[in-house]
Amino acid sequence: MMQTEGTLSRLAIWTITALGLIVIYAPPLYLLGVSFNPALQPGLPHLSDLTVKWYLALGGENQLIAALEQSLLIALVTALVATLLALLAALAHRELHRRRTAWFLTVLLPMFVPGVIQGLALSAVFQRAGIKASMLTVIGGHLLWALPFAFIVILTSLSVVKRSYLMAAADLGAGRLRQFLDITLPLIRPGLVSAFLFAFLLSLNEFTRAFYLAGRQNTLPVVLFGKMNAGASPTIYAMSGAIFLVSVLCVALVAGPALLRRRTGPAE
Amino acid sequence: MNRTLLSTLGLAALPLAAILALGFVPLMVVVVWSFWSWDPVTYWIRPDMSLAAYAAILEAERWTVILSTLAKALVTALICLLVGWPTAYAVHFLAGRRLSLVLLALMTIPFFTSYLIRSFSWRLVLGRTGVINTLLIEAGLIDRPLDWLLFSDFAVIVGLVASYLPFATFPLILSMRRVDPVTMQAARDLGAGFWTMLRTVLLPLTFPGVFAGFLFVFVMVAGSSTEVQMLGGAGASIVSVMINDVMRVANYPLAFAISTVVLAVVFGLVLAGNARFGLARLFGEGDA
Repeated sequence: MMQTEGTLSRLAIWTITALGLIVIYAPPLYLLGVSFNPALQPGLPHLSDLTVKWYLALGGENQLIAALEQSLLIALVTALVATLLALLAALAHRELHRRRTAWFLTVLLPMFVPGVIQGLALSAVFQRAGIKASMLTVIGGHLLWALPFAFIVILTSLSVVKRSYLMAAADLGAGRLRQFLDITLPLIRPGLVSAFLFAFLLSLNEFTRAFYLAGRQNTLPVVLFGKMNAGASPTIYAMSGAIFLVSVLCVALVAGPALLRRRTGPAE
Repeated sequence: MNRTLLSTLGLAALPLAAILALGFVPLMVVVVWSFWSWDPVTYWIRPDMSLAAYAAILEAERWTVILSTLAKALVTALICLLVGWPTAYAVHFLAGRRLSLVLLALMTIPFFTSYLIRSFSWRLVLGRTGVINTLLIEAGLIDRPLDWLLFSDFAVIVGLVASYLPFATFPLILSMRRVDPVTMQAARDLGAGFWTMLRTVLLPLTFPGVFAGFLFVFVMVAGSSTEVQMLGGAGASIVSVMINDVMRVANYPLAFAISTVVLAVVFGLVLAGNARFGLARLFGEGDA
């Protein structure tokens, strides 16, 4: 496309873009740097005395480890169920015609319910129904938080599945299940993996709903929140840094193949 | 075509059941309990038809928290648009294929990282011994550390922008993808300079994205709590934190009355936005 922005305008646009990225990334990256500093006072370490001792010290933090285990388990179940529900919702979306937008909004709207309100309301319902707060109640709260994101991801991946493919399969005598297993499923597999990973991360990092719904064993973000407010310590930096790093790696895992595919694609 | 209808219902049944049980029913409870009454002596709630909780919103300076929440949401959304629009332009029009994918990935990551950790990390940057104060002192620009950087409205707004910026950028990128480059070329051929073209062609054509971006950030801020809890000053509040505080005395009716007001504003905005601009269409859906 022809570029007529002029050097100055282009410079301004790139500066603002960079500024936005710096605001998003500089603080957590700085925290990550601090977590490798042997000193107790926060600051960037010198390259010569990088240390992982705070990460090793995490092994002794029983409270954090127990919370981490709980969070991982919750995230795993949430991601599995949310991906399955999102897949069903996306398939239903494709079958619908007139009610399509209504269904889209129905699945999407939970995303806009503030976490505090959903967590509190759900905990009130569970209490009245005599359901004790536990891992399951947290999963209940996280499901609706992860579902809209997983839904959008799977919906986008479904656009690869052309109606003509399915019609061709139907002409060859394939039933609906056969069509799904042999055509749709292989084509949307990357979308399903992305949806699963995203749902996993959303649940792992969710804080406000879990705050109301967790039983005796709190999730990691809830425990971290308490410790952050009680006074920062290097192990908090290490735990935060580790979680941030794992989240970034997971998203990169999803985005990376797309990047590589484009790079070796015929367009370059 | 009854068989397809049946199979569609079969597909939709499970997700719909989850949405109803975990989303709709709790929200109904919120609305109903907001009309119940609460006894400050015993902390008991009673099912009657009372507007006491709504009256309590108006007293005790609670409405100022609601106002300041709306103000924070407005300011954050505007800043996010001012940063997000040029960013979307860079991603869609300026960057090459590879760079735009890298930028897209960088914009995606924040959705799935911890808002708690990202807010918390600002303490290291804005604190009295934080990065900015240290740099300013070393540069000789100030003698004593600036106190208003952290635990202040300034810090909260910075944290909110950092948290929710991608919510503005993504709809803007999507709306720019729907702009036919020919219209921009035509404007240039007719002698419009870059800025004239932006103002008269591209900006109006991306208005659905501008509105959606504004809406998403506004709604996310209206429901946020972490940024205020991590970065706000003493007594700083936002609706979600106020709900937390009210629940310390188990005042469900008041907490749910505030929630009802918030939900009415949020859903009202989303549905109005959808009626006006078709949010579903922005995601490439709903028009088939």
